[in-house]
Amino acid sequence: MLPTINVDDQKCADPLSCRKCLLICPTHVLGLGTNVPIQKFRETDPEHFVVRGVRVDKCTVCLDCVEVCPQNAIQVSFSGGSAK
Amino acid sequence: MCEWCEKYSDGYERWYFNPANYARRLYKIRKEESEALGAEANPQEAGGMAFIGQDYLEARERGDVATMEQIKQQVEAASWVTHFGQVLTLEEALKIVDMMYPIGLITCACRRSMQGVPDEENFTCIGMGAGMYKWERWPDTYLGGVHFLTPDEAKEVLTKLNKKGLVHTVFTFGTPYFGGLCNCDYPDCAAIRTVVDLGIKVVWKGHYVAKIDPELCNGCASCVHRCQFRALSFSPSKNKAFIDQFQCFGCGLCATECDQDAITLVERAEIPALANIW
Repeated sequence: MLPTINVDDQKCADPLSCRKCLLICPTHVLGLGTNVPIQKFRETDPEHFVVRGVRVDKCTVCLDCVEVCPQNAIQVSFSGGSAK
Repeated sequence: MCEWCEKYSDGYERWYFNPANYARRLYKIRKEESEALGAEANPQEAGGMAFIGQDYLEARERGDVATMEQIKQQVEAASWVTHFGQVLTLEEALKIVDMMYPIGLITCACRRSMQGVPDEENFTCIGMGAGMYKWERWPDTYLGGVHFLTPDEAKEVLTKLNKKGLVHTVFTFGTPYFGGLCNCDYPDCAAIRTVVDLGIKVVWKGHYVAKIDPELCNGCASCVHRCQFRALSFSPSKNKAFIDQFQCFGCGLCATECDQDAITLVERAEIPALANIW
């Protein structure tokens, strides 16, 4: 089974300026997206940025992201087997 | 032959040397949904959510080859009409900036998405063509704004980025229209990561293949870190660099770093078994 990465978007309020998890991940699994579509003539508010496990096939379940998150917003679960 | 050249080069040496492919009309009625999708391609989404979904990764995890193949074909087909790239050498990239207009230095959406790189450190992408006149409509796509460059300024930027070790790629926004001259690296470029890790061809290999002259290679290994495609390794027993030519994308970064001129770029078309490896 692939690891599952859950991010609590309520707790993770401004990932674009925090980005601690993005930088610490040794295999660059996490990425930023937005939970609203791009709008004409408008920048997306920082609160609409979300962190997701984009390359979850490369997650080694080291939990560095969980530990570094100042908001305690990331959970990684893994039922065993080999991630690759 | 490169199928894109076959379809879209119109007598020019490569499809990306055909000026018509940089001349997307500013205003028109969009007929095909797929083309409209390309025009409105959201680079942020392309970076963050990365061409491929969880369904593919799960199929891969359980070894479901049929589902993988099906998803791969869907993703590639959609990407090839909307937004995909091809690797260029520095010389080719320099030639392109002489023919397209306007040239806008913009921030890299992939690096913003994968690493949250602040705008001021992130001006590594070149947007080009008519679409650049509309950048103010999409402040979220062009975070950090646009610096319009002369061809000479663009050449300076490209040369500097090549020195730094970034791979030049040309990207369509509604094929065959080019809108991006990107400067990419593994693992944060969504396209390179997708093709290298998963074999899904959202960026095609270029028209060259690198070749080492074992007589000239002095084993300094300065080229080895330049390869973003896992094609270049070092053989300690021979004390020479080694290129897996089937894996080589032909960007030439290894060649520009070699001060012995031991690496040359050979036309892909001239090597029979590689001529159709894209």
